[in-house]
Amino acid sequence: MSQYRQDMPPPGGFEPVKYKRNIPLRGPSGVVILGGVTAVCAYGFYRLGKGNLEKRELKREATWSRIHLVPLLLAEGDRDAYRRQKAALEREKEIMKDVPDWEVGKSVYHNDKYRPTDPIVVL
Amino acid sequence: MSIFHNPEDSSKPYKEPTPLPDDVPKVKELGTTSAPLKSAAFFIGAHCKEYNEDFMLCKNENRDPAHCLKEGRRVTRCAQDMITKMRENCLQEWDKHWNCLELNNHEYYMCRKPERTLNKCMFEKLTIPGTPEGQTPIHEVKRPVFTGVQK
Repeated sequence: MSQYRQDMPPPGGFEPVKYKRNIPLRGPSGVVILGGVTAVCAYGFYRLGKGNLEKRELKREATWSRIHLVPLLLAEGDRDAYRRQKAALEREKEIMKDVPDWEVGKSVYHNDKYRPTDPIVVL
Repeated sequence: MSIFHNPEDSSKPYKEPTPLPDDVPKVKELGTTSAPLKSAAFFIGAHCKEYNEDFMLCKNENRDPAHCLKEGRRVTRCAQDMITKMRENCLQEWDKHWNCLELNNHEYYMCRKPERTLNKCMFEKLTIPGTPEGQTPIHEVKRPVFTGVQK
């Protein structure tokens, strides 16, 4: 009769049932986490600042390249504007040749300052 | 009725066929497009500094185009001279640099490698005026922040 093997508790009995809460404090504390976040943010802002300074220098370079080229382009545009102005004056002379007391190219202003003409093209 | 048609809105450009009057001395116009000019900007600026400044001072007196034609011719001739010299001496490096600029929205920072070879070829010490003291000029910075995405 005693060759059965019964399902008995382990020798020494079961351990006591753990019913108390067991949430251990582990991992980084709040201060450490905030410190880590601050560190990452600080590094980010540092890189941002470096990038802004470099952007400023790049803008400086681009501006100076433009400054060096402006007289060239202005001179070319001036010659073109002068040519067109002369052609316009010729046309005016041709059109108004029979009108008495017409001064070709007379400015409507009393001041001698140069005023660029607004071109009107009849399409 | 004579309605004002703004020439900027027209679909066809208006080309004025009359050439320059003959009493104005002729000057050989630059044929370069924008990328070679941008590439050569600092060299032209260094070589033609006096002429450029002269022209701008003349312009400061009077904005009339007829007033500064002579200084303008000088500026164009000086730049033409510089471009001819560059073509004779450094054509390959210059071509590489401005082709790189063409592919990169004319941004200098994307094309530092060809720029370095061009500078070496031209044997010139370029400085960008106004760089804060003690800093390396931006075109000589070894590890810049802004580079292209693909190396």
